[in-house]
Amino acid sequence: MSAAAPLVIDGLVVRYGARTAVDGLSLRIERGEIFGLLGPNGAGKTSTMSVIEGLLPPSGGTVLVDGEEVTRAPLAAKSKLGVQLQSSSFQAELTIAQLARLYAGLYGLRLRADEVRDRLAGMGLDGERGQPFKRLSGGQQQRFSLLVATLPRPMLMLLDEPTQGLDPQSRRQLWSEIEALRGDGGAVLLTTHSMEEAQAVCDRIAIIDHGRLLATGSPAEVVAAHREDPAVQRLAHGEPTLEDVFIALTGSAVRD
Amino acid sequence: MTETMTPPTRPSIGLALGSLLRADATAALRSRQTLILNLIVPLLYIVILGINDAKKHFATPGAVVGLGITLGLMAAGMLGYSMLVAADRTAGVFQRLRVTPTPTWLIMASRIIVQLVSAVVMSVVAIVAGSIVFGTTFPWPQILGAMGVSLLGAVMFLCLGQAIVALARSQGTVNAIGRLLYILLLLVGLLGASNLLGETLQHIAVWTPVGALAGLYDVVFGAAWSGDSTIAVIAVPVYAVVLGVVGVRFFRWDPR
Repeated sequence: MSAAAPLVIDGLVVRYGARTAVDGLSLRIERGEIFGLLGPNGAGKTSTMSVIEGLLPPSGGTVLVDGEEVTRAPLAAKSKLGVQLQSSSFQAELTIAQLARLYAGLYGLRLRADEVRDRLAGMGLDGERGQPFKRLSGGQQQRFSLLVATLPRPMLMLLDEPTQGLDPQSRRQLWSEIEALRGDGGAVLLTTHSMEEAQAVCDRIAIIDHGRLLATGSPAEVVAAHREDPAVQRLAHGEPTLEDVFIALTGSAVRD
Repeated sequence: MTETMTPPTRPSIGLALGSLLRADATAALRSRQTLILNLIVPLLYIVILGINDAKKHFATPGAVVGLGITLGLMAAGMLGYSMLVAADRTAGVFQRLRVTPTPTWLIMASRIIVQLVSAVVMSVVAIVAGSIVFGTTFPWPQILGAMGVSLLGAVMFLCLGQAIVALARSQGTVNAIGRLLYILLLLVGLLGASNLLGETLQHIAVWTPVGALAGLYDVVFGAAWSGDSTIAVIAVPVYAVVLGVVGVRFFRWDPR
């Protein structure tokens, strides 16, 4: 096993014309770590994720996935990634069992029918194996997306708002799936708008806005570091929470 | 969880291509649109011309079969393929595939191979239907020649479909342009060639993709070599190359 960190971002810059979406972001994620990237809409989370996924070329800086530079060795970097996109779809004509086989093949795995069945059963989807992706409920779709992302047993898992739109039961189930990924020795980078989720599952978080890093550390450390800020004090009803710190750092204006 | 993680390796191109081909072929077989455009359109055309007086306007049964295949290839490339690619792009299917360690050219190559195979199948069905409708037997050299021309024609119309989906971003625009061009090429290629619209249009029709390909089929099915045949031999590969370059150069995987 390689000794490199699952993810090292150094001075990442992403520009869209004159607009700078990510402005010199640096992060490092260690093995077995669940890391939350938090920020309001337009903060630069999706741009950062897109660069790591190899979907967007960076304007500056470097991104290493398990030691592989994403722009110089994109396929090698992607082979170490498991990805759950925020909005993605699968071929409408294929069943989820066929999709699981397809994506396994794209990661170099030959899965027999019984192995596909076992993997689907592991996510509580065995009964749906003959269904196309679009016929699944929201929770089942998220679980299937997670299954596809975990097929290669990746060094780094990228989860873009994995529990968005899920009911509390499905959310809890997904959290335990995410927690289990850590045990495999890989790391998880997730984005979320839910402070509850960040506190529940993340070992460390980074709050970013306008593409810049505002705070990083464990959720408890971030709250403790900003407990005495006047803006946090104004927002807090009693003990300051992560949400109070988040709003104090990123502002209370609603973003599109 | 104490399971030890296995470092992922770069998947083989063969396994990835095999997985993609299986998935794309399954999707094509399950698609009603593919069935209609690839089989029903040419069959309908051959049967309609075979059972009424229209066949006397064509030099040979081979000319009718050739034109039937041409219409099928045109429908499959300009309406079927381009719409399928546009729909998958809009839905995010390509983004999902692109985050795997699969070279992007392989994703498209698989789709094109499936289209080429279905073009050959369609040609065989059309030749068999032509033999039945016209009560004739086509010699093997003509059948093999027709297969070659079908592959060339399929490449040209796929390149045209690819150019449409490259230049138009939204699914609706791709649909509209595809239909409009289909009708335009059909009218110029068919009516123009028949001298119904005057001599000028008849000369232009020979140069259109429909006219040029129909000209190649005429030669394969035994018509005498003429100046139009030379034009057809030059025009079809030139269209394929030019449209292919446009289709690759301007294609965007992301719908935004």
